[in-house]
Amino acid sequence: MHKESDIRIPLILGDKSYRDITDDIIRPIESKAPKGWYILISICGLFALWGIGCIVYLLGTGIGTWGLNKSVEWAWDITNFVWWVGIGHAGTLISAVLLLFRQKWRMAINRAAEAMTIFAVMMAGLFPLIHMGRLWVGYWVFPLPNQFGSMWVNFNSPLLWDVFAISTYFSVGLVFWYIGLIPDFATIRDRVTKPMSKKVYSILSFGWTGGAKAWNRFEIVSLVLAGLATPLVFSVHSIVSFDFATSVIPGWHTTIFPPYFVAGAVFSGFAMVQTLMLILRKAFKLEAYLHTKHVEYMNIVIITTGSIVGVAYITELFISWYSGVEYEAYAFLNRATGPYWWAYWSMMTCNVISPQLFWFKKLRTNLTFTFIMSIIVNIGMWFERFVIIVTSIHRDYVPSSWTYFHPTWVDIGVYVGTLGVFGVLYLLFARYFPVMPIAELKTILKSSGQNFKQGYGHGAGYWDKHAHHGHDDHSHAHVETHEVETPVIEKTIEEVTSPEVEAAKEVTTSTLEDNNDLKLFERIGTATESEKDDLKKISGIGPVLESKLNDIGIFTIAQISKLTKEDYEILNALTDSSTAKAENDDWAGQATQLMNEN
Amino acid sequence: MNKTYWKGLDEKSQSPEFKTKANQEFPEDLPIEDFVGSEEVTGFKTGRRDFLKFLGFGVAAATLASCEAPVIKSIPYIDKPEDITPGVANWYASTFFDGNDFANILVKSREGRPIWIKGNSAYGITKGGLTPRINASVLDLYNGERLNFPTMEGAEATWTDVDANISKELKDIAKSGGKIRILSSTIASPSTLQAIELFKSKIGGDIELVQYDAVSYSAIRKANEKSFGKAIIPDYDFSKAKSIVSIDADFISNWIFPTKFQTEYANTRKPENGWMSRHFQFESVMTLTGANSDYRTMIKPSQHGLVAAAILKHVGGKDLGVSIPDEIDAAAKKAADSLKANKGESIVVAGTNDVAVQTILNAINDTLGNYGKTIDTSKPLMVKQGDDAKVEALVNDVIGGKIKGLILYNTNPVYSLPNGAEFGEALKSVPTSVSFSQFADESASKCKYVCPDHNYLESWNDYNIKLGNYAIQQPLIRPLFNTRQAQESLLVWAGEAERGDRESKAYYSFMQKTWEQYGFPAQSEYSTFTEYWNWSVHNGSSIEVAIPGETLTYTDATSGAANAISAMVAKTDGAKFEFATYVTGELGEGQYAANPWLQELPNAITKVTWDNYVTMNIQDACDVLGIAWDKDNQIAAYNALHIGQEEKAYVVTVKVGEKSLTLPVYPLPGQARGTVGIAVGYGRGTGDEKIGKAAYQVELDQTGAYQTKDGKRVPIGGNAFTLTSFENGQISNFASADISNTGEKYSLACTQTHHTIMGRTSVLKETDFNTYLAGDRNVYNHPHELHIHENGGGVHKPVGEIGLWDEHPVELVGHRWAMSVDLSSCNGCGVCIVACHSENNVPVVGKDEIRRSRDMHWLRMDRYFSSIEDEKRKKYDADYKNNEGFSYDNLEVPEESPEVVFMPMMCQHCNHAPCETVCPVAATTHSDEGLNMMAYNRCIGTRYCGNNCPYKVRRFNWFNYRDYKKFDKVNASHDEYARLVLNPDVVVRSRGVMEKCTFCVQRIQEGKLNAKSEMRTVVDGDVVTACADACPSGAITFGDWNDTSSAVNALSKNDRAYQALEEIGVKPNVYYQVKVRNVDIAKAEHSEEHEGH
Repeated sequence: MHKESDIRIPLILGDKSYRDITDDIIRPIESKAPKGWYILISICGLFALWGIGCIVYLLGTGIGTWGLNKSVEWAWDITNFVWWVGIGHAGTLISAVLLLFRQKWRMAINRAAEAMTIFAVMMAGLFPLIHMGRLWVGYWVFPLPNQFGSMWVNFNSPLLWDVFAISTYFSVGLVFWYIGLIPDFATIRDRVTKPMSKKVYSILSFGWTGGAKAWNRFEIVSLVLAGLATPLVFSVHSIVSFDFATSVIPGWHTTIFPPYFVAGAVFSGFAMVQTLMLILRKAFKLEAYLHTKHVEYMNIVIITTGSIVGVAYITELFISWYSGVEYEAYAFLNRATGPYWWAYWSMMTCNVISPQLFWFKKLRTNLTFTFIMSIIVNIGMWFERFVIIVTSIHRDYVPSSWTYFHPTWVDIGVYVGTLGVFGVLYLLFARYFPVMPIAELKTILKSSGQNFKQGYGHGAGYWDKHAHHGHDDHSHAHVETHEVETPVIEKTIEEVTSPEVEAAKEVTTSTLEDNNDLKLFERIGTATESEKDDLKKISGIGPVLESKLNDIGIFTIAQISKLTKEDYEILNALTDSSTAKAENDDWAGQATQLMNEN
Repeated sequence: MNKTYWKGLDEKSQSPEFKTKANQEFPEDLPIEDFVGSEEVTGFKTGRRDFLKFLGFGVAAATLASCEAPVIKSIPYIDKPEDITPGVANWYASTFFDGNDFANILVKSREGRPIWIKGNSAYGITKGGLTPRINASVLDLYNGERLNFPTMEGAEATWTDVDANISKELKDIAKSGGKIRILSSTIASPSTLQAIELFKSKIGGDIELVQYDAVSYSAIRKANEKSFGKAIIPDYDFSKAKSIVSIDADFISNWIFPTKFQTEYANTRKPENGWMSRHFQFESVMTLTGANSDYRTMIKPSQHGLVAAAILKHVGGKDLGVSIPDEIDAAAKKAADSLKANKGESIVVAGTNDVAVQTILNAINDTLGNYGKTIDTSKPLMVKQGDDAKVEALVNDVIGGKIKGLILYNTNPVYSLPNGAEFGEALKSVPTSVSFSQFADESASKCKYVCPDHNYLESWNDYNIKLGNYAIQQPLIRPLFNTRQAQESLLVWAGEAERGDRESKAYYSFMQKTWEQYGFPAQSEYSTFTEYWNWSVHNGSSIEVAIPGETLTYTDATSGAANAISAMVAKTDGAKFEFATYVTGELGEGQYAANPWLQELPNAITKVTWDNYVTMNIQDACDVLGIAWDKDNQIAAYNALHIGQEEKAYVVTVKVGEKSLTLPVYPLPGQARGTVGIAVGYGRGTGDEKIGKAAYQVELDQTGAYQTKDGKRVPIGGNAFTLTSFENGQISNFASADISNTGEKYSLACTQTHHTIMGRTSVLKETDFNTYLAGDRNVYNHPHELHIHENGGGVHKPVGEIGLWDEHPVELVGHRWAMSVDLSSCNGCGVCIVACHSENNVPVVGKDEIRRSRDMHWLRMDRYFSSIEDEKRKKYDADYKNNEGFSYDNLEVPEESPEVVFMPMMCQHCNHAPCETVCPVAATTHSDEGLNMMAYNRCIGTRYCGNNCPYKVRRFNWFNYRDYKKFDKVNASHDEYARLVLNPDVVVRSRGVMEKCTFCVQRIQEGKLNAKSEMRTVVDGDVVTACADACPSGAITFGDWNDTSSAVNALSKNDRAYQALEEIGVKPNVYYQVKVRNVDIAKAEHSEEHEGH
């Protein structure tokens, strides 16, 4: 028997219905983008253009436009490559590994994380391409039939395995992500009204019907892809680490690299997910779906992987001394105390020391702190790759070749450019793609949404009220067939009979409020988002309050004009505002006046 | 008679059918209607879409067709010259002499273009001796800024006009009793001297030849005049010297006759001989010779005399009675003890241009009985014939307006005289001034006439560099420009020859006559002159002529020397700094300032390229620049003064008397306290003269020439000749100086910025001679062993026997090319670098790229100074617990007076090469002859191989050096003439590919083909790499390791052989021979027990 712990906070907060989920997630697609989005995409676009310009200059002139030299022949290029690949780890780990482990909290983040993965891998893949001296013959890394006689690729080379690993990872990741998107695209297709959008989304949704058979196949494919993707999570960064581990260079030649790199990748990947999701939930008002608990879970992953990375660093140091190899010993001594000490200690501080702060629950549940930490971790992980690559080769075996690496503006430009391109892609994704898996979220609504825990799920009022919308929402149809459904049903039965849960109900949010909620709408009438008025015209209603009202279902001035004193109290309770505010401001009066004016 | 032809019987018979068809073009009806009228065609419509398709295809096809790879045209011979086979090089013996360096050389010529130079070890006096300058001189032939016509008052003129004017003006001057002077560098050519004599007699009047050496040795001649009654430079034979003392004489790269001395010296540095010379050096700036010495003492330039006096006293000669500082006395005593032990087998030399010091040296050498043994006065050298007193007199005459006619031959006094600027102004007002310079250089541009001479590779000449020794210089190429040999000009003006065209043989015939008259009768080997002449030209030198040398007797001339020594000391007494000029092996006296190969050749000691600088002791530098100096934390000072990439050097002003130079500071280990040095040879072209693009600074990003406000280009470095002076009839190169910090900073480009080897004894091994003689290689060259578990027990196994992979290539099957580099013989001169550069078309990349550590040298000369922490490091290695006070930081700090090791480093051609396994496209692979090969065409430029190379010898083409505008000032291949120097056997690499030492695979191929065409197997010596071929000291040996009789096979097995970084198991094909110093104490060695690595 499944038993839900009391203290576990539900994964979806607030009183969300299936329809709410659809509305909440599709809202950014259906509504006009806010000014902020345009500003952000312009900034990112400028960076992206600058980066593309740098790349064009690089390709036109030569690799010499970077600051590389005869000893340090890789620096920012491969650092950025490994950094981006590392970031690209979280998405697949979340969607595949956590899927296999039935971690439902992943659903809040997996779509966005997968998108991040795809874009990050695209950015990563860019660097091995442009770092080639002769990009135009770069296709020689593929084992293609050719006219060069028996000329073949060198299967000994880790760089070749990289090509295979990254391209496989990218294709599987892309397919996995896209398959997941199909039902959601169908949902959007069915809702949008503009013909152009409708056409685009209907192409994107591959004619998804939402039939049981389709869902069945969808599930099978998801599971198969998850199974395929899981080993890739571990193989990709292991292979990337072979670039260094199989070499003869002290500081590179390290057997600990594969697990250490994978842990580091998950570490940085989750940090990047944090950075992006914390912005996204705020901007798209998805706080109910991605809340402190999710963040805390991710922080726990960060602290685990961060500690693995920390242990790896210390192991490396120990082995370099214990091995008795003077070159190894010097390589690590040089890292810590040589000309690049600042990079090493940046790395140590950011990656080893700072994540340990997450042992404090107060800190790991603090969103602002988490946001700052996520950026620190990503800085630290960039330095990790930089330290490994540059400090090892800038002083290797023969001291006559020892030198230093100075980046040029092209080095910096290309890196910043990839951040820009990534930003543009991500913003487009956020604007036109459902940022959370609508269909999947609905599967956990019953087990986690407060409504359902309180009995709403069983045919009672709130749901019926929106019945006229229900049919266009294809995801609803599959709820009953979904794999996670069984425990949900068990649980609801249990809930009904469990005295503890009954008791819990009484102390948590009151049913009264929900009843009032119903009465409220009986009085003021319902409205949809498409009829939405600018409620901010009423003095006392700001953007925050407006969105709260919208969340409740109040969209029009007309609705507000019908509010009574009793309603104000209900509203206050629902919006967590202080009492008397609405009454004092006389929203109904103002609304009536506004209506008369028009 | 007209013949009639018929197409057939029809026509013959004029049948009716024929007649009807005769006027039709097509006898049968064409089925046009069938075709046009068919339904398929009429039904066919060209719709709008189709039209667009065709249009699109057409445009695309046209675009594609117009994309064409650049076509480089090559024109084959129509009539092939008899002696030229395309693709096969011709070698000609010739002679190099530029008034300074002399060498018997062999020139490699491809399709009529001289492209590569090496020393002639079979014939002549220099026995393969070479300097980088000689090796690189071939590029100067192709300098596109050479004059293409004679000039008159700066404007282009014709030879006819110039000849008429000059001979008339000169004769007028002679008639009116005006003075005519020929100022030239040392002339060692008997025929040239003959021509000048003829010229003098024909023109008549007051004509005199004054010879002038920019870096003067006239004090030696003066001193010998005093001691032996004859102003000669004797012949020194270093090959027999068991004890060598040099006071500031850089005889390996500059002093008097380096091409001869360096090869002789190298013979004394091979421990296998059973003896080694012990070499003491006293100097202020560390020279290449000082870096090679066993004992080096830092002294001030003013103390040269004191050192000489102290040695004289200690070898048992006269005590001059001067007071000598204790530390100098002690060092001198040590040297003297060694000299005394090797009487008659020692040499004492000094670079000081001071007569008193040189007379003391004569006394020392006489006391030691060296005359007649290691020093031969009977057959003197004809080099450095300049007489400073005469030069000074002439210069004063010119300045005083007393000279009416002045002819400059092979000299650039405006640049190199102490008062060159003043001389230059005066030169403008000499009524008839003529220069033979190939360039409109500092002096030539101020002359009324410039009659450009041929390059030495375009002209005939002969040389008598030592009494009885004659050499011939022959042209390798038809003159590229409208120039004329100087000697021919003189003969034409004298009315002794007709002006000819470019093929003129006027001087050739003249020279031949001289040889017939003097040389032929003096020998007895050849019976006919033709035979004698042909063999002399063929060998580049004639047989030694048995001229009975004059035996000179020594008389003591040291009286008054004590006063002179005291005067020397007094000259800089009380000054905080003493300044002295020195000469580098790279740029010499400045003739090669526009040679990009030499500018890019890193200085042997400092590893700085494209610049000169002030060398200072680091403590002095800190003092002047206001940087804290802490004896126990010297790394701080080194870090503060660190030079490389973005870190710039401090700039100081060196003020000598009224003159000053502002240059960056290079903190040089081994620089005597209180002294500074500046190399001559820089600062060419202050007036923006056309002497070659590479002589001028380019902006830091190399986008253009660096210009002053008035649009003039800025020369590289400063001219240190301006700080010298005439003193007591000699050119003095030292003086007291004031140094002040300018507060500015300046980028210096070094190929190596790290000074020490960091105690890495598996990279570099050295020992002392006594340890070597003791015979146990385990003491000084312990093979690297691994402790492994085998057959149930622990065993030690040489690391060479352990491998992850199968042996490749197989031992003793086919060839396996290998190289041995003797660190003891190698003196670090850098000839190999230039030889490699020119053989393999290695790109020149310029200062900015070097600054970014992107030099392209396939072969580099690593230079390591001993560290203040080396002793502690040994303890640290031996016993981890006993590492008290050991600091890695201090391991980076060179000793104040360090020992120096040079280590040529090129691709090691590892048999288990780390670069090969990592290339994703297999662009670098192993040949079954042991070569690590690089297929440029296949390379996609990931640079992974370069990163994974433990020796860091791979070089990446960061740019298109051949065409990218950034390199047009430095890379000669931007110049259509300079491209002629490219070796056609070696491809010019494109941008984005990796390149590296190939073991001169083109030479290997050539050697194998030669053997094959002669139906024999390849024997040792058939294949020699460019570096080994050019190396004057025989430090590099190349050959087939699988040939058990080869020299390289034997060397790889001797006691001194080791492989760099043996323990990482890459199995290189390059073997190094442990460096052996002839020092008393076993300073360097400890038994190596690196187990379990």
